[in-house]
Amino acid sequence: MIAEWFDLDPEEFNQIDILWSGIDSPFLWLFLALTVPLSLWFFWTSLRRISSRPRKTFIIMLRIFAFALLAAILFQPQLEFKNNQTLKNHIAILLDDSKSMSVKSFPEEISRTELVKKWLERNADTLESWTRDYKVEYFFASDALNPASKKQLPDQLHARKPHTDFEKVFSKLQKRYEGKSLQGTVLVSDGADRSQGNGELTSGFLESLSAMEGPVHTVLAGERDGFKDLSIQHIAVARFGFLNQPSRVMATLSAVNMGNKNISLTLKQEGKILASKLIQLKEGQTQYQVELEFIPAVLGKKNYLLTLPIFSGEAIAENNQKNFQVKSVRDRIRILHINGRPSWDSRFLREALASNPKTDLLSFFILRTLSDDVSASTSELSLIPFPSNLLFTDYLDSFDLVIFQNFKYEPFIDKRYLSNISKYVEKGGAFLMIGGELSFQMGDYNRSPIEEILPVKMAPVAKGYLSDEYKISLAEKYKSHPALALENDPEKNKALWQEMSSLNGINTGLTAKPTAQVLAEYQIPGTKESLPLLTVWNKGKGRTIALATDSSWNFNFIKVGEGGSGRHYYKFWNQLISWAIGEPETQTLRVATDKEQYHENEEVLLKLQVLKDDYNPSSNEKIHFDITPPQGEKIKIDQKSGENGELDLHYQPKETGYYSVRIKREKEEGEQVIETGFVVSSDDSEFSQAQADPELMKKIADTTGGQFLNIGSQDRASLFNFPNPKKFAHINNKTISLWNNWWLYGLLTGLLLLDWIIRRKSGLS
Amino acid sequence: MRYCLQFLIFFSLLHFGPSPVWADPLASRFVLPQLKYSGGSFKPLNGALEGLLMQIARRTSIEIRREPIELELTDPSLHRYPFLYMGGDSKFEPLSEEEIKALRHFLNYGGFLLIDDNSREKKSEFDVSVRRMAERLFPQTPIKPLARDHSIYRSFYLINRVTGRTAHKPFLEEISVKGRTVLVYSSNDLGGAWARNKLGGWNYDMIAGGEVERQESIRLGINIAMYALTLDYKKDMVHLPIILERLRRYRLQ
Repeated sequence: MIAEWFDLDPEEFNQIDILWSGIDSPFLWLFLALTVPLSLWFFWTSLRRISSRPRKTFIIMLRIFAFALLAAILFQPQLEFKNNQTLKNHIAILLDDSKSMSVKSFPEEISRTELVKKWLERNADTLESWTRDYKVEYFFASDALNPASKKQLPDQLHARKPHTDFEKVFSKLQKRYEGKSLQGTVLVSDGADRSQGNGELTSGFLESLSAMEGPVHTVLAGERDGFKDLSIQHIAVARFGFLNQPSRVMATLSAVNMGNKNISLTLKQEGKILASKLIQLKEGQTQYQVELEFIPAVLGKKNYLLTLPIFSGEAIAENNQKNFQVKSVRDRIRILHINGRPSWDSRFLREALASNPKTDLLSFFILRTLSDDVSASTSELSLIPFPSNLLFTDYLDSFDLVIFQNFKYEPFIDKRYLSNISKYVEKGGAFLMIGGELSFQMGDYNRSPIEEILPVKMAPVAKGYLSDEYKISLAEKYKSHPALALENDPEKNKALWQEMSSLNGINTGLTAKPTAQVLAEYQIPGTKESLPLLTVWNKGKGRTIALATDSSWNFNFIKVGEGGSGRHYYKFWNQLISWAIGEPETQTLRVATDKEQYHENEEVLLKLQVLKDDYNPSSNEKIHFDITPPQGEKIKIDQKSGENGELDLHYQPKETGYYSVRIKREKEEGEQVIETGFVVSSDDSEFSQAQADPELMKKIADTTGGQFLNIGSQDRASLFNFPNPKKFAHINNKTISLWNNWWLYGLLTGLLLLDWIIRRKSGLS
Repeated sequence: MRYCLQFLIFFSLLHFGPSPVWADPLASRFVLPQLKYSGGSFKPLNGALEGLLMQIARRTSIEIRREPIELELTDPSLHRYPFLYMGGDSKFEPLSEEEIKALRHFLNYGGFLLIDDNSREKKSEFDVSVRRMAERLFPQTPIKPLARDHSIYRSFYLINRVTGRTAHKPFLEEISVKGRTVLVYSSNDLGGAWARNKLGGWNYDMIAGGEVERQESIRLGINIAMYALTLDYKKDMVHLPIILERLRRYRLQ
């Protein structure tokens, strides 16, 4: 009724209160106590001249009423319309969604998550009945707490979170229900929280539990007994291995309830078995250390897969295999260096190669020819037969680089072995011919398999060896070529080459093949003819170099004599050899990932450097990526390189495992392809000790006065009780001011005006 | 007739085709410069180096340049000749500081010096001068006998005995820098054993022994040159088994 006076819906409010805002002010009371009687007395005496007693009383009444109104204004009365409701208490139901919940029971082979779903289904009526008296809210709990909608619960509940941490979960639960009445919690889990050690609750967790208003009832999914699992718990392996050198991987295996049996641990690469070891499992022994040895046969980062067989009834199948990556690098660069005769050039090169700690050098010098008269018997000589048969058949592939330095192959090498060198290069080997009087045509290599693999063509008629002294002249086009990089800064590099000592001697009659790169040449003075001095090219999967002089030692000893340093000679040879054997920094397509390994849901960044054949950046070039996920189909992505030849490919993997990446570019002479890969790993530490822990679940319930149930036996949720104290809440409040409005001030003004009129009419001023 | 024509065409091509340059690539060839120094006689023997070079050319695959060269340590072209021969039979003036510095630099960075006492005396003044020079050259590295398993004794010939025209010391002496022998000193007048005249005869009679010792001196000279050009090549593992077996047999003989 009153609500309607103030245009309010009476159904929305069930209580009205008057509030006096100024009633608590002692100054106001003092003021009123002094002023009201004094004023009334003053008024009464001022009405002496009015003889009519009723009129006098009326005026006094008017004054009293006006004073009352004034006092009311000073006390600031307000009408408060309220709607008071009884609050529902809360119940939180926490469902464990950590990975250990995917463990299957034995022998039923039902995952713990499935057990939980079935338990929810069986107890649906009870859970529904709770909603009458309580507000029931569902959460997924692992080491985080995420609200869940009851309707979508069966679909949303997946055992995916990598860790369980009840202490964190209950701490978050308390924060969430701060100021709310949480009168009970139901924790449905396997209790596999390894942060709670040795059957005792941590002090932090105990503190959280003791601060809970209502009991925590626990429901155990899974059993401690009957857990059967074989797993690779841990792998210890060096991230780097050496090419063609044994590498080792140490695996820690766990076998729970597997009985006595023999199993094999297998190491694979791209489906090919590299190593395997038989392990005798014994009842009562759960941990095994196994070492496997393998030999990386390909340079670069490669993925390896360690697998165990999956047995029937195993709780977790995923932990029976693990991926790891090893980047294989050369421990040493194996060089076969064959010298046609001892010379200063070969002496200084041998010293440079032998002094390089990264090099394994096998040298042969032809110390005598058939025409030399040694004037001694063989037993008085230190000479050994040249093992051409062994070198160019059995052992050729074990070398990274073969150098023929001023070497005429006949009569030391059978001509048929030259084809072996050609095949070796096609398969990825490197070959370098150094000039001199016994090289190129003068070594009878024209029209031989060696000419086919070299980047230079030899004139049919031997033209000999020119003994001019000249300065090396670098081709401007190839100033960024890694084989010529004595310094990183191009200008400094150019200046260094200009300061290099003169060379003397160059093989003539050579012309660069069409796709070969002439990095340096000699312009014959007074002619238009130039002779290729340093020529390189890619041949098949390998690389070959023709250096048409035997005077590169001038860069060393003679340079020192000129007051310079010989270190650029060493740098030159290091760079030339690095390019020849195709070291990563000499590739025109280079790829790297921003991380060694990725976690689930992490974005992968592939950084690509795209260079032209002359090693200048290739901008705006289309690059094709083929990404093959562990299970899915190949994904094709095309992207263009930027202005600086760089390209960043961002990729979001959708599953865990090894992703192989094939990167391709189109070139005039064919495709250029490089391969890489990355591993997206899941955190499977939950599986390391995934047995259910009923003791922990009981302890949580006991600590909070809750009950413990085990799914599968007496698991009715109706056994749980929750306190339900009455709690109220002012749901809706509306306050209307009774003093701060126009009609009150109007009434006061009216009263004073009436008082004034009557006084005037009564002859008062 | 047809064959005759083909022969003529081939012959004409040889003469009128692009002119080939058959210049001698001296830079790659082995040269034996005689070191010139002040005081004493820097070249007391005739035909010593020519004799050794001829033997090197005849017996090994090393290509040599026969013309004699005489070189001072201050010569700007010193570093074009990484092998130096220093002979003498008498006291010589101490090298200047500049010369010592140049020689040290030369040896440290890859050069090789063979010193040969041609005096035929056991305790010669040349020997005193040489040791004084060596002390100034490498004060921290005294000259010492060459180890019996040094590569010089197996770089071409297997050598068990050290001799020369004389046989004052049954060993060579050396100075090594960073594992590389940079200076070899013979007290036995190797040059006297090598020296030949233009007619092919030996210039000097052997004082200790006869032709066998001369041959051994030549072999030692060749081995020293071979070592300078190949360093420790003969200590590579690929050679060791064969060399050790031959040495064993050789010593048994």
